[in-house]
Amino acid sequence: MTEGTSTLASVVQELSRKYAEPEWLKEMRESAWNSYVNTPVVRLEKSDLSKRSWEIENLPLDVQSTASDAVDALVQSIVESGAPVLYVRDGQVVRTEVPASLSQRGVIVTDMHTAVAQHGELVKAHLGSVVRTDESKWAALNAALWQGGAFVYVPKNTAVDVAVHFVHEDTGAGAGIAPRILVVADENSSLSFVEVHVASSEKASGVVTSHVAEVVAKANARVTFVSSNQFRKGPTHFATSRALVHQDASVDWVFTDVGDGYTVGLLESELQGSGSRSTIRALGMGYGRQHLDLTASMLHEGRYSTSDIVMHGVLRGRANSIYRSSTHIFKNAVGAGSEQHDRMLMLDSTARADAIPMLLIDENDVQRCGHAASVGRIDENQIYYLMSRGIPKPEATKMVVWGYLQPTVDAIPSAGVREFVSNLIDGELA
Amino acid sequence: MASPHLKIDGLKVSIEDKQIVRGLDLEVKGGEIHAIMGPNGTGKSTLASALMGHPAYDVTGGTVTLDGQDLLEMSVDERARAGLFLAMQYPAEVPGVSNANFIRTALNARLGEGNEVPVIKFHRQLQEKMKSLNIDPVFAERYLNEGFSGGEKKRNEILQMSMLNPRIVILDEIDSGLDIDALKIVAKAVNDLRSPEVGFLIITHYQRLLEYIVPDYVHVMMQGRIVRSGGRELAEKLEAQGYDWLKQELGIEDETVGAEA
Repeated sequence: MTEGTSTLASVVQELSRKYAEPEWLKEMRESAWNSYVNTPVVRLEKSDLSKRSWEIENLPLDVQSTASDAVDALVQSIVESGAPVLYVRDGQVVRTEVPASLSQRGVIVTDMHTAVAQHGELVKAHLGSVVRTDESKWAALNAALWQGGAFVYVPKNTAVDVAVHFVHEDTGAGAGIAPRILVVADENSSLSFVEVHVASSEKASGVVTSHVAEVVAKANARVTFVSSNQFRKGPTHFATSRALVHQDASVDWVFTDVGDGYTVGLLESELQGSGSRSTIRALGMGYGRQHLDLTASMLHEGRYSTSDIVMHGVLRGRANSIYRSSTHIFKNAVGAGSEQHDRMLMLDSTARADAIPMLLIDENDVQRCGHAASVGRIDENQIYYLMSRGIPKPEATKMVVWGYLQPTVDAIPSAGVREFVSNLIDGELA
Repeated sequence: MASPHLKIDGLKVSIEDKQIVRGLDLEVKGGEIHAIMGPNGTGKSTLASALMGHPAYDVTGGTVTLDGQDLLEMSVDERARAGLFLAMQYPAEVPGVSNANFIRTALNARLGEGNEVPVIKFHRQLQEKMKSLNIDPVFAERYLNEGFSGGEKKRNEILQMSMLNPRIVILDEIDSGLDIDALKIVAKAVNDLRSPEVGFLIITHYQRLLEYIVPDYVHVMMQGRIVRSGGRELAEKLEAQGYDWLKQELGIEDETVGAEA
């Protein structure tokens, strides 16, 4: 890495130059780069990152690749449904379709570079406010190198009734992939945002990708944030998504990953406002040698804040994954409540899963706090029952697994993306 | 299709190395209703589960054929597709799989690829059957048996029986946990299905069910065997007098499996 460091510092400058970025952003990138270089590689409890290499040379700076058929079909189906979509391939913006009716109501849906140029103050006020540039080595990496990315702003008292889509394709070209998403829902607004990250071909091993999403839900805003991923083998993937949830606002996360990658993921809601609410529904379908280290976390700071975490993991092959659900109720978060449900299903004897529930409670006056976690194999009685009606074993197994996953897939507010994710899951159950 | 013929010869079944069914002979043909009665612990439900092919039960001896085909060689789903249907005493709950989707998948598995039942026709048929079984239409979209009461599970088993065109039906204590109204509804569904193309094997503790489903043959199981067979009058006698007279006649002190040794 040392050899490439100086070159990469110049890449950071080149990015700023290429997008003609204002001074504040140039400084932000440079400071993030320094943070990245100076932050040591940490050893997570279940993921020893010191054994991973951190190659980030060779950023793709223009579009040379072509879309895969599956992504083409997905983008087309979203456009035809009349929903807004932003399509970024290898960090480059290739397509932006936003209905005029949305812009007329002051809703902003654009790539991050355009947002910086046209809505600089809004971006400056929020970028890095929810996921700090120096909070982790990978957050710093993203803050230094992000490209493409999506920016959404919903004005006060505005309900966006079609889901805003962000399709992010990684064709494997170049090394560093660092999409950045910033969603700001102003007071009393509502929005569904659906991110789809597609790995359309294999990527070199040893490289690092870092995804960051920041969500600000102001008072009484309601945001559904979907992140559907395909973290594939080769790179080390980092995904950090966090929402800041103000008074009486709600943020509902839906996370899916169908992959065989080495991934460290965090989904977190900072329930800052009183009466704030959040849910996390996560689904993982791991195959190959998947190592998914996923943490779903709720930070209760506001009084009467409530949260619910539901995680379902299905593991095949030699997948070895960790699902952590964490609830922290801080002092003075009077009346807060939280539930966690984690269920892991191992389809092969070589697969392994850990479900780690964590409850940290500093306040005495809480309403309910519960957790349930189970790790196991498919129930033979369920398979026997389905077979006893004539359904062959492979199909019966598929039905039982789909039974676990269906409610989470159904929570995605986009028919095109539901189908896309369903096809990925079916592909792994065939 | 020709009339079905289930033939059981000297069947022996073990669970965890304990022999439960100890040499059982029985023949069920299309149009016949056989009742198997007997106190608890005499091997009745083990017989039902072994015929269906539950993985926990080992067949250690004897033969079973359906229409001359070796049933014991078939996997559970093959037995079902050959026409065997078992209404279970404790059906599994399968979260996330809707009742309607399950029954349709099962029906299509029987019909085979290319012969699937049209979706609209299926739902019309399902709703009709549910209505006649007094099942709330919302149960079509409820997850399979999840949160169903005991009685609802039993009626759901009968719904599947009515939808799947079975040839040999085994009812394993379908009457337990049913009130008299539900019992009548279940009996009606069985009687509606009664034809030369279907044979029934009804396992029950009580004669009550047999007032509504009149059997052609009644068998009594003790110690893992059929110890007495007769007509419907045998059931009536058992109801009136209990099992003691029969145990005395046969010189059996404890009728449960394993007690005779």
